[in-house]
Amino acid sequence: MTTAVQDILERKSQAVAPDPKRAPTHDIRETLYELEAKGEIILQRVPEPFVEVITKYGRTKRIPIEHTWHHKSCGQCGHIPGYTSSVYWLHRQFNLDFLDPTDQTSCTGWNYYASATSNAVAQAAVMVRNFAAAYETGYFPLIHCGTSYGHYKEIREQLVHHKSLRDEVRRVLDKLGKPLVLPEEIVHYSEWVHVMRHRIAERQRVDLSMLTATVHPACHYYKIVAEDAIYDPDIYGGQRTATVTATLEALGIHVADYSTWFDCCGFGFRHILVQRDFTRSFAVLRKIETMKQEVDPDLTVTHDTGCVTTLDKSQFAAKAHERKVGIPVLSDAQVAALAMGAHPFRVIQFHWHSTDWRPLLEKIGVDWRRYWEEFQEDLEAIRAGKKAGITWQEADQPVL
Amino acid sequence: MPTTLDTWHPGKPVSRHPDVPYEEKQRLFLEVKNDPRYEDFLYGCYECGICVSACPSARFYDFSPRVIAQAMAREDVERVYDIIAEDIWNCAQCFSCLRCPRGNNPGGLVTLLREVAVRNGLRETRDVLQGYSRVIYKVMLKGNQVSPDMLQPDFFPDWGPWVAQFSANMAVWRKAIPVDTLRGVTDAAWKTDRKTLLELYTIWFETGNMDIIKEVDEGLYDLLMDVMQEELEEG
Amino acid sequence: MASDKVLIIGAGPAGLEAARSVAELGGEAILLEQRERLGGTPDRERYAKLTHHWRDASDVIEEMIQAVSNNPRIEVKTQAEIKAFSGSVGNFEVQLEVDGAPETLQVGAVIVATGFQHFDPGRATQSYNYYTFPDVITLTDLEKMLREHNVVRPSNGQPPKKVAFIQCVGSRDRRLGNEYCSKVCCGVASKQAIEIRQQLPDARVFIFYIDMRMYGYWENEIYWPAQEKYKVNYVKGVISEILQKGDQLLIRGEDTTMGRPMEVTMDLVVLSVGMEPSAGTRAVAQMLGLRQNPYGFIEAGGAGGVDPVATSREGVFVAGAAAGPADLNDSISSAGLAAARAVAVVRKALALV
Repeated sequence: MTTAVQDILERKSQAVAPDPKRAPTHDIRETLYELEAKGEIILQRVPEPFVEVITKYGRTKRIPIEHTWHHKSCGQCGHIPGYTSSVYWLHRQFNLDFLDPTDQTSCTGWNYYASATSNAVAQAAVMVRNFAAAYETGYFPLIHCGTSYGHYKEIREQLVHHKSLRDEVRRVLDKLGKPLVLPEEIVHYSEWVHVMRHRIAERQRVDLSMLTATVHPACHYYKIVAEDAIYDPDIYGGQRTATVTATLEALGIHVADYSTWFDCCGFGFRHILVQRDFTRSFAVLRKIETMKQEVDPDLTVTHDTGCVTTLDKSQFAAKAHERKVGIPVLSDAQVAALAMGAHPFRVIQFHWHSTDWRPLLEKIGVDWRRYWEEFQEDLEAIRAGKKAGITWQEADQPVL
Repeated sequence: MPTTLDTWHPGKPVSRHPDVPYEEKQRLFLEVKNDPRYEDFLYGCYECGICVSACPSARFYDFSPRVIAQAMAREDVERVYDIIAEDIWNCAQCFSCLRCPRGNNPGGLVTLLREVAVRNGLRETRDVLQGYSRVIYKVMLKGNQVSPDMLQPDFFPDWGPWVAQFSANMAVWRKAIPVDTLRGVTDAAWKTDRKTLLELYTIWFETGNMDIIKEVDEGLYDLLMDVMQEELEEG
Repeated sequence: MASDKVLIIGAGPAGLEAARSVAELGGEAILLEQRERLGGTPDRERYAKLTHHWRDASDVIEEMIQAVSNNPRIEVKTQAEIKAFSGSVGNFEVQLEVDGAPETLQVGAVIVATGFQHFDPGRATQSYNYYTFPDVITLTDLEKMLREHNVVRPSNGQPPKKVAFIQCVGSRDRRLGNEYCSKVCCGVASKQAIEIRQQLPDARVFIFYIDMRMYGYWENEIYWPAQEKYKVNYVKGVISEILQKGDQLLIRGEDTTMGRPMEVTMDLVVLSVGMEPSAGTRAVAQMLGLRQNPYGFIEAGGAGGVDPVATSREGVFVAGAAAGPADLNDSISSAGLAAARAVAVVRKALALV
């Protein structure tokens, strides 16, 4: 090996951690503190205990561990409820204090990105109404949906930059008798999973080390207001967001790379609902088939509503066309719950997923039939009116 | 606020929509340009192609975020009208184009163009949104984009037999969820307080959101107004 | 008491030329260098050929070093660091540490020639994965291999068959805060493309660019020969991602001329990294209280904007890339001017005494 090649390889082993002093953007939190000092807004502080993480430009971000107000996702709750129940199940396992509010609407951002049948003031008012509702309870918002998270961050920027927008939103909020409240940090649930990953790994009951996974990072998590996503020099050399990947690695799963990791899933907001030829083609041709050809993973893991739905549900039609598909799709929260032994149906709710997940469970040695029979008994009892539904008392206990 | 455009058409302007008066196209462009977000979304374009490279729709449709940025920077009224009428609905709104080294936000420009198309009830826009009304109905009334009862085999034939299986079992599957706010709820994503929904309706009224709905679908507007006004009156 | 000495900070091309010029004008120069060796970035980064006259950089830098060595009017201090700085034009006091030992200097004027550093590709806005993929290298990495006449893929030691250059990495980028053009990368990449074709005639070379900034004679001396004689392919469109595909690199961008997305495989990808102020430039600017522009370079131009070596502090001048992206010609030209200005203010100050 020549001196030049040695030098090059040597340099490549020394990635430079980003210096927050040289961040190319202004830290929006500084402006938030100024607006708070002027009495323009109420700023809700991240409650203790929290964990500090490093974001793209080397700044720190506080992720609360408990006393959280769970800003649910309509797509998760509506179509992938095991996503939501896994998040709560994890909180319950660690006895963490949290609130599942009924005084919450969705961000309505999905509709905005799909049809634009709204406007900036309405979108900001919906956001602030939710934040004000959280503030009233004293619990700190934890955003389940990637789109809500990205949308709220963008609205926060607009609110900070445009006084006219603040004034308009304040006028609307006045009608509701609510103040203009913003949280100090906008936090995604997958960031909570990220900071909890070692505690989750400590209580891991199911060995997942034989699994290979691919990760689909959610566009609205790390592309919108990109500076706010978690990065880690030890994950992808700090070149991509570490969220999800770090969690899977902590659980012993091998994360394999594939060449279309940056591509979106094909969700398209309106396309998934009314123009699915685009969604199906993109999800299958650019994501699933590429993963299958390059990696052939046991599962693919993501951290947003639309991505789970798109990647999972798009595979059926492709299979009918004999394309190379068949990768189960889960969220990081569901994988974490699986690792800690959650009931596959009462908690993780595998039956809401369309792509065959049975081979995955078989590979990790889970006799899914047994739990499915147990769950069928639950359903029979509900049908017979013997019980109203499944309760946490029946779901809390790790079973795997 | 700008009231004029510094339009430059390369060569003779070619109109794909000669039925629409030029003044009307100018008016729509100005409406986009007067959005306070416009100046944060478009700086200039040196045609590096990063946005197209990152764009899912550019791989599937004849769609180019670069052309959108360039046409808007040139204030090319005819081309921008074509984009409003035809191109904007192909965007997936993933915001992959936000990595533009110039700091442009082509996806955001599409959002602004869509808003103007909707607000002005463009014929093409009404056509595009026709099949989408039931979603708008749900989100305006329930504050949720989707609900379990929207998963019907007729609407999702390409999702295979799973949808039929789900549909047949929805009521009981829905009860078999340990989360209190979800258990048994089928017409919304979760249980929402009535007070919360009334606050949401107030937001729709106060921000002019109902007028927007009226522009694209008058029937839907009437339906929503009936329900919301009755609810608000009951208080 | 007024001093007739001119302090020059940094012994790269600009500092070396400034020292030589001060001496030729009959002044007294003290040349400070933080490294053990003189020669600056071209020496440290082992540059190969220079864009003008196609000479070996080592020969050129050696000649420049010779011109200051054993010159009775130039005192050279290596492994030197400034610890404190005070006074005013004609009468500055400088506290130094030279090879670990403290020293105090009285000087009449100062020329800052602390230069630039190459952009760290780990901070690129686009996804280039420099620290992950061995076959993604920078212009400076390639320069070293060209100098050794051994251009290979670091992953396997084999010569590449397809090489891509990506322009504007770390430059012209609002998301990074580096809005400026680094001025030299188009010329250097094209020069290197020619050298690759000379050393590896079977390799195909592509340059992906936004605009080719081949001003002046670079057009006829480099750009046209690269296209016409060496058949280098220039594609307008910058790469958004570099990915691994088997044992090759997949690059993705838009061919903007053809108006369509492209994905092609390469054996070696060279990032045309731009220029940023060196750590030394930032530190010295702070120590001397010099105004810096938003990018950290030393603000130059003077009140009227037409004095390219004047800084915000009277009696302190700037030469070379410490004031912003510069090629070798720019650096040497500004060094000569800074030397003339420095000698002039020193004489004026002495005359007043």
